[in-house]
Amino acid sequence: MALFITKRLLMALATVLVVAVLAFLLVHAMPGSPGAVSLGAGASQEAIDEVNRRLGWSDPLLVQFFSWLGAAVQGDLGISLIDGRSVSADLASRLPVTASLAAGATLLSGILGIALGVTAAVRGGMVDRVIGGVAGMAVALPAFWIGIIFVYLLAVQSSVFPATGYVPFEDSPQDWALSLALPVITLAVGGGAFIARQTRASMLEALQQEHIRTLRATATPTWKILYVHALRYASLPIVAAIALQFIQLFGGSVIAEQLFAMPGLGQAVQNSVSTHDAPSVQGVVVIATVVVVAVNLVLELATKFLDPKLRAS
Amino acid sequence: MIPNTAPAPADETTTAAAVLPQTPGQSAAKKFAGSKLFGSPASIAGVIWLAALVAASLTAPLWLPFKTEDQDFTAVLSGPTAAHWLGTDELGRDLLSRIFASAAGTLGTSMITVIVAVGLGTLLAMLAAAAGDRAENVISRVTEIMMSLPGTVIILAVIGAVGTNIPLIMGILGVLISAGIYRVMLGQAKSLQSQLYVDAAKVDGMGMAGISLRHVLPGLTNTIVVQAALIFAVGMLIQAGLAFIGFGPPIPEPSWGGMIQGASQHVYDAPWLMVPTGAVLALTVLAANAIGNALGKAPNATASHLPSAAARRQRAKSVAAIAAAAPAPKDSAKDTLSVRNLSVGVDNGVRLVTDVSFDVEPGTVLGLVGESGCGKTMTALSLLGLLPSGVSVAEGQILWNGTNLAAATEKAMEGIRGREVALISQEPMRALDPMFTVGYQLTAAIRRLRGTGRADAKAEALGLLEKVGIVDAARILKTYPHQISGGMAQRVAIALALSGRPRLLVADEPTTALDVTVQAEILSLLRSLVKDTGMSVVMVTHDLGVVADLCDQVAVMYAGQVVENGRTDSILDNPRHPYTLALLAADPHANHAADMPERLATITGQVPQPKDWPSTCRFASRCQFAGSACTVPVPLLPSGAGDGVVRCVKADELAVVGLDWVATDIPARHVLSLSETRTVEKDHA
Ligand code: SF4
Repeated sequence: MALFITKRLLMALATVLVVAVLAFLLVHAMPGSPGAVSLGAGASQEAIDEVNRRLGWSDPLLVQFFSWLGAAVQGDLGISLIDGRSVSADLASRLPVTASLAAGATLLSGILGIALGVTAAVRGGMVDRVIGGVAGMAVALPAFWIGIIFVYLLAVQSSVFPATGYVPFEDSPQDWALSLALPVITLAVGGGAFIARQTRASMLEALQQEHIRTLRATATPTWKILYVHALRYASLPIVAAIALQFIQLFGGSVIAEQLFAMPGLGQAVQNSVSTHDAPSVQGVVVIATVVVVAVNLVLELATKFLDPKLRAS
Repeated sequence: MIPNTAPAPADETTTAAAVLPQTPGQSAAKKFAGSKLFGSPASIAGVIWLAALVAASLTAPLWLPFKTEDQDFTAVLSGPTAAHWLGTDELGRDLLSRIFASAAGTLGTSMITVIVAVGLGTLLAMLAAAAGDRAENVISRVTEIMMSLPGTVIILAVIGAVGTNIPLIMGILGVLISAGIYRVMLGQAKSLQSQLYVDAAKVDGMGMAGISLRHVLPGLTNTIVVQAALIFAVGMLIQAGLAFIGFGPPIPEPSWGGMIQGASQHVYDAPWLMVPTGAVLALTVLAANAIGNALGKAPNATASHLPSAAARRQRAKSVAAIAAAAPAPKDSAKDTLSVRNLSVGVDNGVRLVTDVSFDVEPGTVLGLVGESGCGKTMTALSLLGLLPSGVSVAEGQILWNGTNLAAATEKAMEGIRGREVALISQEPMRALDPMFTVGYQLTAAIRRLRGTGRADAKAEALGLLEKVGIVDAARILKTYPHQISGGMAQRVAIALALSGRPRLLVADEPTTALDVTVQAEILSLLRSLVKDTGMSVVMVTHDLGVVADLCDQVAVMYAGQVVENGRTDSILDNPRHPYTLALLAADPHANHAADMPERLATITGQVPQPKDWPSTCRFASRCQFAGSACTVPVPLLPSGAGDGVVRCVKADELAVVGLDWVATDIPARHVLSLSETRTVEKDHA
């Protein structure tokens, strides 16, 4: 077990490193030197060169990379070229926004998806076809389109929820929840449909297993076969689908954040890409990777725990 | 925003085996199941929509009513009108024209993602499959890393570096997605690579690339098309999403995502604006998904062992019909099983078992014998009401202690299963739930079937395990099924079947999956259990050795019918049906050492498919003694030996002449001395 965890941790570390290198190279391929970006149009060449020199822009790439990496492992991701603020501090304030958005949407997708998927598999017939049809529609509709429709229906027409904006939890838990509601629902439509399909397929596969017949042959009540034995068998792929959903939502929150004007990581990456703010882009890429890799790690441990075969080995 | 590219699970239960080509000679076109494309209304609609969209967008300059930048200030933000069929945007630009003018670009750049993702993914999979474990490990590790990247963020960073160069971005997206495609393809590519004809090609000196192209790639065609359709949809959604957040084509140029973004600014004053572009985008994605799902559908999914609620309602209806049709069961002797004219059929009408009758006296063992595909297992499962979904009893009675089990409700069956009639299956490993310990499964069954309390159940479980010959019962209780051997698992499965103290045990090939030495142990265990408990057994087997060992009565089944039924000793010593004769001649264990023939006979050909069963003698196509007299329906008649019955027009003749089933491929007429002028065509002739 210890060996397994060590191995996985090393793999995770390698992934983050690869991404760090990638991000570094990408950022260096961005048009414009940091001095030009930071001083804006109309700055004199001397001023630009001065800033570039201060930031070590003309040093060899390797030197630059390692000095960035050295700072990064201590939690310092550099300074934004646009507003001069610490990238780490900025991202730290944005992380909770995206995290609550992704976690909320994953939670809702999971609940909706498992409920609908199990229902479709268990009931069959008409119910199955209707759920399948709705899920098919839901994965085909782009999240941003669904989001706008929700804004129109729930915020404009009936003003149940605030249309845009984010209220931090510390300010008011209730408003926090309300401000998250629309974005979370928006993202959960596609996510729920995805998990519902996975759940349905896994449940059906579970019910095809021969041990289900043994259970019936020993007079196990139907509810117990479905919700204890089949669901347990189906749990591995379902858990994987939910983790995948979280990863996607975490990376994919950029659209929801843009749509609902939420100051999260997605908005940060969009802004910094538009303004060529190299250190910010680099920072977001690395942070997002760390989160994604961490979730994958948790997933793998969960899988190991859920599967008796893996647990024993 | 980057959707996962693991196979969309709902409709992709296609296993590698299911899509494997049967023979290497098949053309690629055959393997690509194009007919499936037109098999569902959704995919037909999808194909039509995509074709129409492509045609419309390619010819757009010819027919579009307006230029994309034409502004009609008399109709700003209008709904559909005669002049503007789909309405106009905030600058009075015609939506129809803008949607279709940008369609070609959207579809084309999405194709870039498809080609890169599927092409690279397939290439990597073929490479990994061909180049051995080492290379596969490396490729798998790299793709693993690729798949655990936050795709959206990386794509945005790329945009930062290269600008909104849409084709390039869609290509890089394809690279990121290819890791998922690789994972989907790898298993299939590997199993194709391990086919026998690939080995043959290697021996012939065909190179790695040649094998991959000639033998592996064609087998992957269907998966490639399925994935291409699904990735196409993904590409379109991502491209629209990027345009929506401002990373689309430069400003005046229209794009679907950009148009939706524009519309979102006017959701307050002109909500209509959202509809046309959103609908076209959604329809296109739906169309691609529908095509992918239709092609990816498994040809015939395995039947469920617990039918859905809808299927159960259906079955309850047909059971009620049988109950109404059947005469009231007469009182039979206690613990006697009496199957009368049982027919089991698929829901589409094909019969798998026809008109089967047999009796099992208390404390005796009946063997149901025959090759696979003869309906033995279906007959056995019907005794417990455990036929897989889509298969049900069509006619007949299964009388047990005064109840007709064929007409019993599911509720009534739940009272009978385990407590009166129990089941042992062929593969003990698969019969036990891999997610729960042996102890959990056994004590749950004991508590349920015996009404024992939690504490006592454990003691009884230990007792049961010892009864089935497990020495370290306490340890076995704590293990999971995968931690014990097949023979041990079968003992556990037997203990499970005994937990309700049944009076009838249905054993479906209980030893077939086990090692030879273990087989003997399990058989002797069953024999002693029958003696100790006095229960009766219906033993499904293809092994006449097992029959000789264990059974009092034998019913030989061929193609869904009982062809011979009687006492074991009389049937084994003096078989009256050519099929029984053939089975005996082909079975090494059933031949006594003294008269063991020099070589074992074979029965040429296979059991015909149920839909092909003739109304005449069903064995005729394989029978060495078939003749013109055999072209009539053959009834089951007394064989003369005790209460035995046999279904063969020549049973009496054969009994007199005492022919052997001959171990050659010589057509029957050279062997058969009976004065037949015409022999039924053999399939090897
Ligand atoms: S009826 Fe004719 S074909 Fe059929 S088993 Fe008898 S001899 Fe063979």
